[in-house]
Amino acid sequence: MDSRIDHVKSSQPLIEAVGLQKSLGSRPVLIDVTLTVNAGEIVGLLGPNGAGKTTTLSILAALLEPDAGSVRIAGLNIGQCGARLGPLLGFLPQSLALYPSLSSHQNVHLFARASGLSSKDAATQGAQALEAVGLSERKHDPVWTLSGGMKRRLNLACAMAHHPRVLLLDEPTVGVDPQSRESIFGLVRRLADDGIGVLYSTHYMEEVERMCDRAVLIDRGRVVADGTVQQIIALGGHRPRIAISLDDLPPPGWCDGITDVRELGRSVGGNALTVEFANFSAIGQILETIELSGCRPVSFAVHSPNLSDAFMALTGRALRDDSGEPPEA
Amino acid sequence: MLRAVWLIFQNEYRLLLRDRAALFMLLLAPIVISAVAGFSLGNIYGTQPGSEPYRVVILNSDRGWLARRIIEALGHDRSLKVIEAGDISEARTLIATRSRTPMAIEIPPNTTHDFEAGANPKLSIYIDPVKRLEASSIEQAIDPILREITAAANDRTRIAIAQQSSDLKARLTRAAAEIAQAKSDLERSQAALQRTLTASQSDLEAQIGEMSRSIIRAVDRSIDGLRTSVARDVSARQQALVAVRAYLIELESSRSEFEKWITQLKTLAGSRADQIPPPPKWPTPPTQEQIDLLSQPIAIPDIPASHIVAPDNDVHLPEVPKEAKLPQLAIPDLSGLGISQPARIPGVVGWTEHSLGSGSPRVNTFDQYVPGFGVTFLLVDMLWGVAVGLIDERDWGTLARLRASGLSTSGLLIGKLMARFLIGLVQLMILFAVAWAMFNLSLGRTSWALLMPAAAISFAAAAFSLLIACVANSRDAVLPIGAMAALAMSAIGGCWWPLDFEPQWMRAIALAMPTTWTMRAFNDLLIRGLEPAAVVHSSAIAAGLGLLFLVAGVAASSRIYRQR
Repeated sequence: MDSRIDHVKSSQPLIEAVGLQKSLGSRPVLIDVTLTVNAGEIVGLLGPNGAGKTTTLSILAALLEPDAGSVRIAGLNIGQCGARLGPLLGFLPQSLALYPSLSSHQNVHLFARASGLSSKDAATQGAQALEAVGLSERKHDPVWTLSGGMKRRLNLACAMAHHPRVLLLDEPTVGVDPQSRESIFGLVRRLADDGIGVLYSTHYMEEVERMCDRAVLIDRGRVVADGTVQQIIALGGHRPRIAISLDDLPPPGWCDGITDVRELGRSVGGNALTVEFANFSAIGQILETIELSGCRPVSFAVHSPNLSDAFMALTGRALRDDSGEPPEA
Repeated sequence: MLRAVWLIFQNEYRLLLRDRAALFMLLLAPIVISAVAGFSLGNIYGTQPGSEPYRVVILNSDRGWLARRIIEALGHDRSLKVIEAGDISEARTLIATRSRTPMAIEIPPNTTHDFEAGANPKLSIYIDPVKRLEASSIEQAIDPILREITAAANDRTRIAIAQQSSDLKARLTRAAAEIAQAKSDLERSQAALQRTLTASQSDLEAQIGEMSRSIIRAVDRSIDGLRTSVARDVSARQQALVAVRAYLIELESSRSEFEKWITQLKTLAGSRADQIPPPPKWPTPPTQEQIDLLSQPIAIPDIPASHIVAPDNDVHLPEVPKEAKLPQLAIPDLSGLGISQPARIPGVVGWTEHSLGSGSPRVNTFDQYVPGFGVTFLLVDMLWGVAVGLIDERDWGTLARLRASGLSTSGLLIGKLMARFLIGLVQLMILFAVAWAMFNLSLGRTSWALLMPAAAISFAAAAFSLLIACVANSRDAVLPIGAMAALAMSAIGGCWWPLDFEPQWMRAIALAMPTTWTMRAFNDLLIRGLEPAAVVHSSAIAAGLGLLFLVAGVAASSRIYRQR
């Protein structure tokens, strides 16, 4: 762990991808993707399905070769480091990359050995990883007997057992129960605190807002924003909104007298209003003005601007598609 | 890369040990299927390993010794049980109602009699067409029995004929001796006659000689008298000629003197000489040679007595033969009749089976089916282990994760193929060992030689499965494509039946399949009992075909590693 603390202090990015380009056939999948992840940093790679997240992670894990651009992991060019990449990198693929018939311990041990550990170290560190994800008691059980959440946690244990300096997580919480999700969040945070650089790919905006120090928004193979969550939300230019249900609609221009308040739209049939404002202190004044106009609010909901709004503002598309299907690159 | 190979190698065994279905397919299924095939299809090879004998219904209408002999011989065959029926309807009923009773044999009336008379009697066999294979198997067993009985009878006849032939030879030998004695007596008589003839001829020649000499003497005396008389007469005539000659010489001299006188006369006559008349002409004298000839003595020819031929006395003596010849007697030479060996009647052309190799000509069906189904299950298991395994690992994501861990793709492939190659090899060895213990499988002359074809097909199957994984590229496609290819390769390659059952075009296709060469090698070792060197070539070809699969599989392996 000491060595990782040293890397926290290092100024050199643990992941440094510059100008990545990739096409599958004639279809461009990545266009000039550049991103960095520093030691101790969790960077969210956020984008809708098909944005290029998994392709990016596959290139960073040396599973795909980019058509152009370069990748350095802990200072090593991945095109040239070969087997030396294994100890540096922990990769958690989107699918459950586990052998169903082997036990938890055997899976962790195998991937730790594949990453360069000796058999003894793999056993020791594998046991620690299983302990960390709360699977010590099930370490001898075949994977197929574990629940979905346990498998996800085991998946993470396999990626981190060899104490990599970089962790690439591709949709780690898909299909995970809330308890396991919390466990994964906590574990990833601790790993980052220990100095590991984490690239966290997801299309769940909430996860990025909650966990990530920085976020990279990607759409149609292009990076559309890179910065802290607040910076990106600000880039979207949205302000807080309040949606109000009424017994009747107030007359047009009812809010002209309130500073920095603007009606965005109304639903005549449903007697609903959407109002944008600058400061939350204006909410009381808005409701009071409506009542003064002779209408009575039935209910209201306040919406703060978020990454999804920013994504919509930057790309003109929603962050999540309507189908609600599991994530797909 | 070695670390990758070793890790994947170990992991394959862990995966296998955890997979009960795969273990079943690997070990138990080939044994069970081989046993079922061996017991069920043993009749194709004319053997019936450990099963109940077939029943053969006999309808004996002959009642002769030949019929009894046939029934006894059939009864001694452990694979057959004889049931005698009274008539054909009873035989039909027995075939229809009894299990393992596929045929009836009728021995027709007079079979023994016809046989002894030199005819070719035929048995009638009634078979249930549904039980054609079983009937053929029993026919195979009956054939040598009939041949043996026929051969034994022929042997007895041959011995009797040989005895008769020997007696005849003795009689002929005696006749030949008597003829030779007669010939000798005749030759002695001929010699005596020859001597008498020679003596008579000498006497006759002496008398003729004496008579010739007396005639010649008489002629000589007559000639001598004649010669004396002629000599006297010639001498007188010779003296007269000498006197003529002297006269002529003198006349010639007178003519010269006369001519000189005339010349002088003319000189003396002077002018009157012209008036002198010419003298008369002298006749031309004979030449000097003629005159000399007159003086030569007259030669009287000498008449030798020996030239006098005796007058023909008109006596014609007959020609006396030089020797006495008897007419040539045509006495046959009995020594050249070849009676020294009695004539033999030709025997029955039959056959006995011998293996071309050192093995038995009777095939243990498991020698065919154990390696055949072993190879089939090896292919199927290899498809499961390599092709499905690779595609599963790709779909699970473990393959990508291992690659992301720094293991090279070549290391992953080699590790997996090596592990599966060894598993396949061990699978075959276990199968052979179990079959040897349970079914008396032959292990050939040198059991270790089985490793050659086993290793070759294990390698080829692993490489073939890699190729199938690349071609099919999905789990759903591997099983139909792979199973079809593996089963076709097994069937065409002679794993399920002897290759010679197949038509020519199919056998030509089979040459491109490692199963064909592997089965050839296994057959050479297990059934033909050949030396290990005999299977090096076929094992090498099987491995070579595996190498082609491997090259094609490696070239196409990027399809497996490609991200989906």
